[in-house]
Amino acid sequence: MKKFFTIISTSMQMEFAYRFNFIMWRVRNVLRIFLVFFLWDAIYSSPDRILFGYSRAQMMTYVFGLIIVNAFVRSNRSGDVAGDISSGRINVDLLRPVNYFYYWFTRDISSKILNLGFAAIEAALLFFLLKPEFFLQTNPFTWIFFILALFLAMIVYFLITFLTSALPLWHPEIAWGARFLFGMIFVEFLSGALFPLDVLPQSIQSVINWTPFPYLIFFPIQVYLGKVGGIVLLKGLLVTGAWVGILWVTLNRIWEKGLKTYQAYGM
Amino acid sequence: MNNSKNKLKRFGYYLRLWGIMTKNAFLVYTTKKILISIFMLGKLLRFGFFLAFLFFIVQGSGSLAGYSINQTMLFFLTFNLIDVIGQFLYREVYHFRGLIITGGFDMVLTKPYNALFRVLMGGADVIDLMTIPPLIAGTIYVGQQLSPTSAQTLLYIMLLLNGLVIATAFHIAVASLGIVTLEIDHTVMIFRDLMNLGRFPIEIYREPIRGILTYLIPVGVMITIPAKVLFGIVSPLGVVISLLVGALAIILSVRFWNYALRFYSSASS
Repeated sequence: MKKFFTIISTSMQMEFAYRFNFIMWRVRNVLRIFLVFFLWDAIYSSPDRILFGYSRAQMMTYVFGLIIVNAFVRSNRSGDVAGDISSGRINVDLLRPVNYFYYWFTRDISSKILNLGFAAIEAALLFFLLKPEFFLQTNPFTWIFFILALFLAMIVYFLITFLTSALPLWHPEIAWGARFLFGMIFVEFLSGALFPLDVLPQSIQSVINWTPFPYLIFFPIQVYLGKVGGIVLLKGLLVTGAWVGILWVTLNRIWEKGLKTYQAYGM
Repeated sequence: MNNSKNKLKRFGYYLRLWGIMTKNAFLVYTTKKILISIFMLGKLLRFGFFLAFLFFIVQGSGSLAGYSINQTMLFFLTFNLIDVIGQFLYREVYHFRGLIITGGFDMVLTKPYNALFRVLMGGADVIDLMTIPPLIAGTIYVGQQLSPTSAQTLLYIMLLLNGLVIATAFHIAVASLGIVTLEIDHTVMIFRDLMNLGRFPIEIYREPIRGILTYLIPVGVMITIPAKVLFGIVSPLGVVISLLVGALAIILSVRFWNYALRFYSSASS
């Protein structure tokens, strides 16, 4: 436990060492929310309109939910692993008396604490400025399932990030490219981080539902909004749990093979 | 007569120079084939995903701020054209911070060419170049669906170029700010995020954001007005004002560059 707090503390200090970078990153997040908020604001110009199964209040809640859920699920530092592999910095970390996955998972938690704090302030400010209709979930059981879905999503995202970060063990030059393709393209669009996935035709949704991406952002928000319940909710949680298992086994195998192949070019 | 001959000669010189620098930049890319393929795929997927989402959203809701699917698509394609051409031409600005903090900019200042030209256009981006032809084809296809007149098409092209002039002004301003503050990476990304707000017609934004996007950060002039010209809903005065905004933006940005150069201390060299 002492190691955990030491890593959290060091990680926080590292984040604050580049305060300007961090603030700019948060500013960029707010600008992205502007784009999505005003798009839906224009589409729901008539307050009673129901589109894609969402009322105006539910859609605005989805947009605001993105700020918090994104901060919780997608804030991480483990994306730096790819860079560490290609530069050779990983060699030092592997020699440390801390489990490498545990070290980065803890750093991710530190990043999430920091980003969640800022996201809450931003959400409050935007809420005050834009005054959107908001759907407040009052069912305590739904809250419990929402939090459970969030935690599972956080683990799935960590595993996806680590898996894509492992690719430079074979090709050190593609460190940033793999992160761009998986972290910024697939996750951004297929997780519902930009638009809710149910705007797409059912046939496309069925295909996307076979991937782990919808369980990162879209599913937890659906749970919060009370749009999934009973068997569907249980199935969603089980599928997310299954993805945790599949990704964990895959990561361990790939990591083991990758370390044997890795030649520490960067050093 | 002699003056214009000299200018033509100078233009030819810079064109050749750009050709050499672009060729060198492309040669660097050929050593990173896997990386190039990944980025290329990523960019195409991002464009395709966004286009698909936009299509289904506008199809499901009937229209966006009163614009039809084809009109909304044209806003999006116009945004992409200016964004991608801007990145293709001015990718070197993204690397400018390195020159400033290492003092490598000294070398640029001593060379027999305009330093601003080197900072802006010293390394074109091959990935963006490859995405330009399909983008132009898509814009022509969607544009034709809107049945514009020849005059509207000509004005659209003219205002598209004006949009590129404003994008140039922004890149100059970002590089200038980089000399003063030593910060470029986030400034350029914030510029791109602001420009991203032009993916949709600016009518969707509430005041004062709409006003800011129209007059202060002229995203509206860059993207919305060219597209609206093709729909035939911009007055001649609107066209003239847009061109004036473009001219003003480039003049102010070049002045800012000249001013910023005084702050370069060559400290790290």
